[in-house]
Amino acid sequence: MNFNIPSLTAEFYLTTSPVLILCFGALVAMLAGVSRRLGGELVIYSVLLLSLVGALAAAVAASPGVETAYLSGSYLAGVLSRFGQVLILLVSLIVTLLFKATFLRDRFFRGEIASLFLMVITGMLITVASEDLVTLFVGLELSSIGLYALVGYLNPSRRSQEGAIKYFVLGSFAAALLLFGFALLYVSTGSLRLTEVSQAVPKLLGHNWVKLGVVFSLAGISFKLALAPFHLWAPDAYESAPTGLTALMATTVKAMVIILAARFFAGSLASVYEVWLPALMFVAAISMILGNIMALVQSSLKRMLAYSSIAHSGYMAIAICASSANSGSLPVAAVLYYLVGYTIVSLGAFSILMWLENKDNDNLLLDDISGLSKTHPWAAFGLAVCMFSFAGMPPTVGFIGKFFVFNSALINHLTGLVLIGVIGSSISLFYYLRVIVRMYMADPIQLPTQLAPKPSLLVAVVIGATVIANLALGTVLPEAAMKWMVETSKEVAAAPGSAEDSQSVSH
Amino acid sequence: MEFINSHILSITTFVPLLTAIAVLLSPALSIARWVSMGGSIVAFLASLHIWFYFDAQTAGLQFTEMHEWIPSFGIRYIMGVDGLNLLLIMLTTFLTPLILLSVWHLDDKKQKAFLSLFMTLECGMLGSLVAFDLVFFYVFWEAMLIPMYFIIGLWGGKNRIYATTKFIIYTFVGSLLMLAAMIVLYVLHFQQTGVYTTNLLDLYGTSAEYSTQMWLFAAFALAFAIKVPMFPFHTWLPDAHTEAPTSGSVILAGVLLKLGTYGLVRFAIPLFPQATATFAPVMVALGVIGIIYGALTAWMQKDAKKMVAYSSVSHLGFVVIGSVAVISGGAALSAEALTGAVYQQINHGISTGALFFLVGCIYDRRHTRMLADFGGIAKVMPWFAVMLIVATLSSVGLPGTGGFVGEFLILLGTFLSSPLAGATAALGVLLGAVYMLTLCRKILFGPLENEENKTLEDLTPREFAYLTPLAILAVVMGVFPNLFLDKVRPSIENLANNFRNYKIVAEAPLESNQLLGADHKEMGH
Repeated sequence: MNFNIPSLTAEFYLTTSPVLILCFGALVAMLAGVSRRLGGELVIYSVLLLSLVGALAAAVAASPGVETAYLSGSYLAGVLSRFGQVLILLVSLIVTLLFKATFLRDRFFRGEIASLFLMVITGMLITVASEDLVTLFVGLELSSIGLYALVGYLNPSRRSQEGAIKYFVLGSFAAALLLFGFALLYVSTGSLRLTEVSQAVPKLLGHNWVKLGVVFSLAGISFKLALAPFHLWAPDAYESAPTGLTALMATTVKAMVIILAARFFAGSLASVYEVWLPALMFVAAISMILGNIMALVQSSLKRMLAYSSIAHSGYMAIAICASSANSGSLPVAAVLYYLVGYTIVSLGAFSILMWLENKDNDNLLLDDISGLSKTHPWAAFGLAVCMFSFAGMPPTVGFIGKFFVFNSALINHLTGLVLIGVIGSSISLFYYLRVIVRMYMADPIQLPTQLAPKPSLLVAVVIGATVIANLALGTVLPEAAMKWMVETSKEVAAAPGSAEDSQSVSH
Repeated sequence: MEFINSHILSITTFVPLLTAIAVLLSPALSIARWVSMGGSIVAFLASLHIWFYFDAQTAGLQFTEMHEWIPSFGIRYIMGVDGLNLLLIMLTTFLTPLILLSVWHLDDKKQKAFLSLFMTLECGMLGSLVAFDLVFFYVFWEAMLIPMYFIIGLWGGKNRIYATTKFIIYTFVGSLLMLAAMIVLYVLHFQQTGVYTTNLLDLYGTSAEYSTQMWLFAAFALAFAIKVPMFPFHTWLPDAHTEAPTSGSVILAGVLLKLGTYGLVRFAIPLFPQATATFAPVMVALGVIGIIYGALTAWMQKDAKKMVAYSSVSHLGFVVIGSVAVISGGAALSAEALTGAVYQQINHGISTGALFFLVGCIYDRRHTRMLADFGGIAKVMPWFAVMLIVATLSSVGLPGTGGFVGEFLILLGTFLSSPLAGATAALGVLLGAVYMLTLCRKILFGPLENEENKTLEDLTPREFAYLTPLAILAVVMGVFPNLFLDKVRPSIENLANNFRNYKIVAEAPLESNQLLGADHKEMGH
C-alpha cells in the first residue's frame, strides 16, 4: 500500500466535476429547503434541474478518452465511467421531470427530499467510476441509504414505510455481505484496488479466504441486482415505492450495479473465473426461472415488473458469465446494449404508469388497465410496445439485446444458460401478453377513481421518445450503438493488463 | 428501370408497411380502405414485375439485394428470389387485395386499425419469404406474429383470447429455440472459416458434427413444424382458425402456414442434410399421421370452419411428406415430390382460401357455421353452390384442378421412396374426398327445410369479385401447370439433386462482397 497525497490539480476537479456539481446541488437544495422564502417548489425544481443538467454536461465534456485513475483508483475517468454517468444522469433528469407531472410534486420538490435524491445520484456516479473497494462501497451505500429513506419518506403511507423497512433491512444485510467480501479480498491480497487485487488473486487461489471474498462479493452484488435467491426485497420495494422511485430502482440502480459487476467479474476477476462462474451461472439460471414464474401470478403491475426485472437481471448475468473466458469485450458490450435497451423500455413503462396514477391509486393492478386502449389509446400503445420489447420480440430493442446476449453466451459455450434463457423468455411472453390482452381485448371496468385523463406535454414527449428509441435501436441503430458499446467496454477487457499504465497516470 | 430492377424486392416488401402507416394516418375509413387497396395492388404489380422478369432457366438467386445491417456481427439485409419462394410471393400479394375486398363492407371503429395491421402482416410475410440472412429472416418471421395476434385477438370469435394466446406462444417457443440454433450455426461457421456471417448462402456449406447437426435440425424443424402445423404440434391451429375472423383464416391458411413448409425446404433441409436424412422417416411418418388424423377429424366436425381447418392439417401433411420424401433413405430420388410440394402449397392457399371465404359468406348471412343449420342452399344460392363446388373439387384434387397436379406429384415421389407411406397418404386423398364432399352435400343439397335459409341472398357482386379470381386460378393451375412449374423447376431440381452440398448461386454483386465483413458501404447495386 502506498498512501500518496493526491495531486489536486485543476484537471482533477474538472474530471470529478459531475460528482462535485451534484454534491453542491444537494447542499444548496438542503439549505434552500430550510428557508421559508426560498424553499418553494419552483426553486427546488430549478436547483434539481440545474445540478442534473450541469452534471450531465460536465460528464459528457470532462471525461478523457483514455482511462485515468485518480486518488489511487478511487476515481476512474474513462469511457466506461462516462457511459455509466451519462446514462444515470439522463435517467435521473427524466425522472425528475416526470415527478413534476405527478400528484407527488408538492412532496418531491422539497429541500430535504431533493437533497436526498441528489445524494443518491452522487453515490451512483461514484460507484460507476471507481475501482477502489472502499470507495465502491461508500458509493453503493450512499445511493442505497438515500433510496431507503426516499422510499419511506416521499409518500408517508403505511405501505411505503413497510416497503422501506424491508428494503432497508435486507439491503443492509447485502451491504454487510459485500463489505465482508471486500474485507476478505483486502486481507488476502493486501490491496483495495481492483487492478491490484486482480493481479494478486491468481497466485492466492489456494487460500480459501480469497475464494470466500469473491463469493461474498458475488452475493452482495447479486443482492443489489436483485438476482434470485437474493431477490426477496425487490417485489416489496418496487411495489411500495412511489413509481418514480421504482423507475429509478429499475434503471439507474441496475445500471450502476451492472457496470460494477462488469468491472469486478469481467474485468478484474476474469482470470479466476472458475471461482465465481459456477455461482454466477447458478444465480442467473435461478433468476430467469423464478423471476419469470413468479411474474405470472402477479396482479399488481409494479410487482409484475419487479419480478420481470429479476428475470432481466438474469439475462444480463448470462453475458457477464460469458465474459469469463478469453472472450474479449463482446460480452460486456452485449450486456451494456441490453442494459441500455432495458433502461429505455423500463423508463417508458414506468412513465406510462406514472401518468395514469393518481393520489388514491398509486399501485395499478391489471384490472385498472382493463380496456385501456379505449380510454387511453396512446398509453395502451406505448405500454404494448414496451411489453413486446420486454418479451424480446422484433423489431424492438429487446430482441436485438437478447440476440447479442445469447450470441456472446453461445460463442463461449454457455448453451445450458441460453436454453434456460429461452425457456424463461417463453414463459415471460405469457405475462407480458396478459397486459396487452387486458388493455386491448377487455372492456373497461368501473373504477372507484378514474385514471388520469391526459398526459402533460412533457410526459407525452418522454413516452414518445422512449418508443422511438426502442424501435430505432431494434431496427436501424444496432450497428452504431453496438460499436459504441464495444468501444466503451474495451476498458473492462483491458483492465488487468493495463494496471501499471493507469497507476502511473494517477500520480 | 434499373432502380426498380435492383430494388424490386424491397419495394414489394416495404410498400405494404408504408401503406400500413398511411392507413393509420388517413382521416377517414373510406380513405383508409382505398389507401390499403392501392398499396396492396402496388405490391401485387411489383410482384408481377418479378414474375415476368424472372429467369426460368437458372436455379440461381435473382433480384438480389444486399446492404449492411449490423456488419460487426456479419448480419446483412439480403433479399432474393428463386423457384422456391417465387410462387409464394405471388400468392401473398395476390391474396391480400382479395382479402381487403372481402372486408370492404366492415365499418366498425377499429376497422382502420385492422387494415393497418393487415398490411403490416403482409410486409412480415413477404419479408420472411425473401430474406436470405438468418437474423434478417428471423426479424420478419417473429414480427409477423404481432399483427396476427391482434387480428385474431381483436376481431375473433368468443374464445379469441385463448386461441390467439395459444397461437403466439406456440410459435414463439419454437422460434426462440430456432434462434439459439441459428446462433450456434453462426459460431460453427466462424470456427470453420474465421468469418462471422448470417448470410444463408454462406452458411449452406457449413459442416457440423453429426450429433450437433441433429440438435440444430431438431430446433429448426420444431419451429417450422409448429408453424405448418405438423402432427402433434397442430393443436393451436383449429382454435386459431375457428376463432379468427374470415380474413384472418384466409391469410393464415393461405400464406402463414406455408411459411412453415417453406422454412423446412429453405433452411432445415439444405442446412443439415445428414440430420434430414436421419429424421426423414420420422417426418414422413408424422406427415402421414397428420394426413389421416386431419382427415378423420375433419370428417367428424359439425362446424364447417373447423372442418376446413382440420382439412388444412391433412393437406399440409402432403406438403411435408413431399418436401421430405425425396430425401428419405439418405439419397435424393427425384424432384417430383418436391415439385408437387411447392405446387401444392399454392393450390392449398387458393382452394382453402376460397373455402374459408365461402364459409365466411354464409356465416355473414346466417351467423352460424353449423352444418346442421344448412341444407339445400344450392336452390337459393346457385352461384354460391358453383363456387363452393369448384373450391371443393380443387381441394380434393380432382383432375383438372391444381390440387390434382400437386397431390399426384407428391404421391408419385413418395411412392418411389417409400411405398408404404405413399399408399397410406393415398388413402388420405380418398378420405379427403369423403369429408369435403360431405361438407358440400350437407350445405348445398338435400331438402331446403330451415325457414331462415329460404330467403338467403346469393353472392353479391363484391363477393363475386374476390371469389372469381380464386376459382379461375384453381382451374388454370390444373389445366396449365407448366405455366407455373417451368419457372420453378431449375431451383427444385438443384435442391433435390444436390441437397448434400446445396448451393445457390447469386447474382454477381452479392458474391463479390461476401467477405467484406466490417465494410459500411451499401452493397448490391
